[in-house]
Amino acid sequence: MMAPFFETGAGSYAAALVIGIAFGWFLERSGMGSARKLAGQFYLTDLTVFKVMFTAIMTAMLGVFWLGWLGVLDVSRIYIPETFLIPQLTGGIVFGLGFALAGLCPGTSCVAAATGRMDGLSVVAGMFAGVLGSGIMFPLFERFYEKTPRGAYTIPQLFGSNDGIVVFAVVVLGIAGFRIAERLERRSIGT
Amino acid sequence: MTSSRAVRALGIGAIALGALAIIAGSPRKPVAPLDVATLAREVSDEADHVTAVELARWIRDRKAGLRVIDIRDSADFDQFHIPSAERLSLEQLVSAPMGKGETIVLYSGGGAHAAQGWVFLRSRGLSNVYFLRGGVDEWLEEVMNPQLPRNAPAEERAERDSVAALSRYFGGLPRSVDSLVFTDRHRDGQAQTWRASVARTRGRGC
Repeated sequence: MMAPFFETGAGSYAAALVIGIAFGWFLERSGMGSARKLAGQFYLTDLTVFKVMFTAIMTAMLGVFWLGWLGVLDVSRIYIPETFLIPQLTGGIVFGLGFALAGLCPGTSCVAAATGRMDGLSVVAGMFAGVLGSGIMFPLFERFYEKTPRGAYTIPQLFGSNDGIVVFAVVVLGIAGFRIAERLERRSIGT
Repeated sequence: MTSSRAVRALGIGAIALGALAIIAGSPRKPVAPLDVATLAREVSDEADHVTAVELARWIRDRKAGLRVIDIRDSADFDQFHIPSAERLSLEQLVSAPMGKGETIVLYSGGGAHAAQGWVFLRSRGLSNVYFLRGGVDEWLEEVMNPQLPRNAPAEERAERDSVAALSRYFGGLPRSVDSLVFTDRHRDGQAQTWRASVARTRGRGC
């Protein structure tokens, strides 16, 4: 039997619930419910967000690669979101601005809200209002939304390399990033 | 100190797995080369396509793992598509994630693009792939506007009534005719484009 085991039905909801609770738990335990900690990312004084997120990316990437290679996971069934270059770059800038202003991103705002922080609750309320507003106004920017489509585009396709080289490159980048992050944090404590 | 050692070990482990990934190359199992003789046999045996009525039955009966894919452009898709269908272009079809357990039915305006898509998907190693040979036209004529013989022989009546019920299920309008007018209509050169047929279907209201 190959994963994913559940695509629809009660099994998929149960799996999503368990994974969601685990995700929220580890975010909270990593201190990511605190806007101060997240804001430290932008001042290069506390790079916990980078370290936690990149650890998650590397773990998931190595897990997917090797489970696929061993035949445990059917990689072809993993959904790859389509790339729309300009709209997604714009969205990234808007997201980054919101992240820096609020000190929270969508996942961490839910964690902060769950622990009763008012800033977290405010960001969650703002996020849902934004989702509702953009949904209502979607026809106004629908054409922009579909500009520069690239299909289900991946990094190996971009560089014309095989998946293994990209996996190795991301691991090396991650480890180097961790070393630099630790050094920056030590320097900020020293000052 | 122990924690620092554990972190170091995890880092070294990650680099080792990453380096081995270069040798492994890809997480996907290599697909066996395309067996053209098998494909030719499937085409010859007409095992490569489904009829509109068969597809309608699969959709109505919520066949497990059924995936209906419309490979026309988005304007045509927005104007009309088969219920439960999703839209993918031929280019997207080549790389879209698809499971081995899924039954995939492709359709296009006529049948040519869907048949090409069938070859693409079969060459990806997927086996439960079919296409609608007559495309949207076939769906509109055979499911939405079927012309059924009024005086069918006894052995064909059950099938006739089943098709009529199926057509009504999808909001179609089955009509009884004295003969099998489907072929007559084409012979008389009165076949309509699918757009006209959609307009006629929509004009009917609910």
